[in-house]
Amino acid sequence: MSASRVYLAVTLPLIGIHFAFPAGGTAQSIIYELLGGTAVLAIVYAVRLHRPEHRLPWLLFAGGNALFVIGDVISIFLEDPPVPSPADVFYLAGYPLVAAGLLLLMLAAGARNRSAALADAAVFTLGFALLQWTFLMGPAVRGSGSRAEHVVSGLYPAMDIVLLAGFAGFFVSPAWRTPAFRYLVGGVLALLLGDEVYGLDANGYSSGDWVDFTWMLSYVLWAAAALHPSMRELSKARRSTALRIAGARIVVLAAALVTVPAVLLVQQVRGKPLDVYVVVAIGSAISLLVVARLTGILRALERIRGREQAARTIAEEAQARLTVQNEQLVEADRLKDEFVALISHDLRTPLTSIVGYVELAMDDELEQPLDEERRSYLEVVSRSSERLLRLVDDLLFIARLQAGQLVLEPAKLDLCTIVAQSVEESKPRAEAKGVALSFLGSGTVMIECDKGRIFQLLDNLLSNAIKFTPAGGRIDVRAVPKLDGAVLEVSDTGIGLAPGEAELVFDRFFRSSTTAAQQIPGTGLGLFIARAIAEAHGGQISAGGRDGDGTTFRIELPAQLPPQPGSDSAGAELVA
Amino acid sequence: MSAELILVADDDEDILLLVTTRLRRDGFEIVQASNGTQALELARERRPALAVLDIGMPGLDGVQVLEQIRADADLRRMRVLLLTAKAQESDVRRGYDSGADAYVKKPFSPAELSTRVRELLA
Repeated sequence: MSASRVYLAVTLPLIGIHFAFPAGGTAQSIIYELLGGTAVLAIVYAVRLHRPEHRLPWLLFAGGNALFVIGDVISIFLEDPPVPSPADVFYLAGYPLVAAGLLLLMLAAGARNRSAALADAAVFTLGFALLQWTFLMGPAVRGSGSRAEHVVSGLYPAMDIVLLAGFAGFFVSPAWRTPAFRYLVGGVLALLLGDEVYGLDANGYSSGDWVDFTWMLSYVLWAAAALHPSMRELSKARRSTALRIAGARIVVLAAALVTVPAVLLVQQVRGKPLDVYVVVAIGSAISLLVVARLTGILRALERIRGREQAARTIAEEAQARLTVQNEQLVEADRLKDEFVALISHDLRTPLTSIVGYVELAMDDELEQPLDEERRSYLEVVSRSSERLLRLVDDLLFIARLQAGQLVLEPAKLDLCTIVAQSVEESKPRAEAKGVALSFLGSGTVMIECDKGRIFQLLDNLLSNAIKFTPAGGRIDVRAVPKLDGAVLEVSDTGIGLAPGEAELVFDRFFRSSTTAAQQIPGTGLGLFIARAIAEAHGGQISAGGRDGDGTTFRIELPAQLPPQPGSDSAGAELVA
Repeated sequence: MSAELILVADDDEDILLLVTTRLRRDGFEIVQASNGTQALELARERRPALAVLDIGMPGLDGVQVLEQIRADADLRRMRVLLLTAKAQESDVRRGYDSGADAYVKKPFSPAELSTRVRELLA
């Protein structure tokens, strides 16, 4: 149980017990002073307990209430107090302290729209001041009695205005909704209620009257507010949304605004005198404050609109930049396509001449056949141009792949026939190097595939195998059916893969450590292309085998091709 | 029997000479054109047994020449072999749709071209 609850559980019954004793008796006085005194001590204790960021407001509350208690004590011992009595001095001195405490708390809490809170508090206070003047202070000042009596009886309602001024600022600040705040509201309202009732009929009051209840309750609630742990949050700066006009705040402000016409009307009906100067002064002040407040709201709206405009401008600029960038991208894409087409045509035409004329020059049926030396030179030209052509083809293939233009031309075919044919075509190259190449397969394995692409894939794998298998080695190719698909294997007895390279060989431009060390020519594109083809068929490719033990490439192909993306763009497709 | 006449059309002089040289060694008689319009004129004038047409020629391209040949009642039976470097699938399809008898991709081996030509004239 929290300190504030314990405190309330003890003190609230005490208030009840107070009224069980005879009115104006000693027992009542003791309980009354006990409540007031412990409240002051409780506030001081609470400040030490909770260590709020701002201690001064709470110490001011303690001080104000201490002055009230002193006033109470004095009035007990003065049976027939003079006017003004010494008690009045302490009472009246207590209000500014409490009001200052409230004001300080509000200033600490409402960090953001402080001026708006202050304006609202001022409007509210002015409305209350008009009421106080018209119904309490005015009659008191004008009534019979000495000058001192007039001043003192006029000062109490004035102090209530001061208290409300401090409270109203806090009331309209965003410090709502903490238990400590609610206790504080209760304490202030109880004090005000007691004062107002007393002020309306000061002569009718006697010690032990029910009005004492409100003052005792006020003591208790001040202390409860201080004892509740949430008192620390009260004085903390809060992030409040600018321009938030809560419903309660509007009601309070509206009530304050209608005070002037309401007072005019009531006094007219009652046929009572009216202080025109006071009404005019307070009415004008309220009007000016409202105008200031409205101006503030309009300015804030304008600022918001300005920010919104700026944000929109930025968004539009970003949009425009995006459009330009998009156009540039489209242009870059078009240039790339043009470039690919250019390579395709302008590299092929001279290559056609090189390959063709070298072949013509080496023709055995010529009348003057070449001598061996010149023939060997031309063979180098021939091999080099074939390599160049292959590189051009590979680069073109990759360019198409990246443009998303790799479109398969599928047909239901026997994989074994394709493999056998490919192996047959590679045999001369393998035999020239002294490598035995054989296809170990029979029967038919029907799958849906692009014959040209499967050929290309196999050619890449076989070229690699021949390149990396030394004379005397062998290359075996297998094609076997599996559940809904086929498996294709190319295994060689070549130099193998270094550990960890099995995953990397399919990367673009990857060269294995061995190829680099032994300076075996290559571009590192063949296996990248092989993987692209396998994946385009919805299959996968993997490499295996231990270092120095040869390499096995395994391709798994499904029986059915996956749906092809962009197969409608076949018209724009380039064919190598 | 006199040597069969072959029309060779290519805008690239070197390729034109390459094809011509190879086919002359095979014993064919060659008539050369360096653009599509000239190729069509020579086809009408000389009535060759076969035409080797480059697809990528300025003006009338190889496929357009082929279309004119197939549209002409007198020339309809001429064999046509298309050559291309640009090798666009649409070109190939257009070529076959227009009635090409064969299609050879650049760069080609002259020996391979000669084989295809002899097959077509067999």
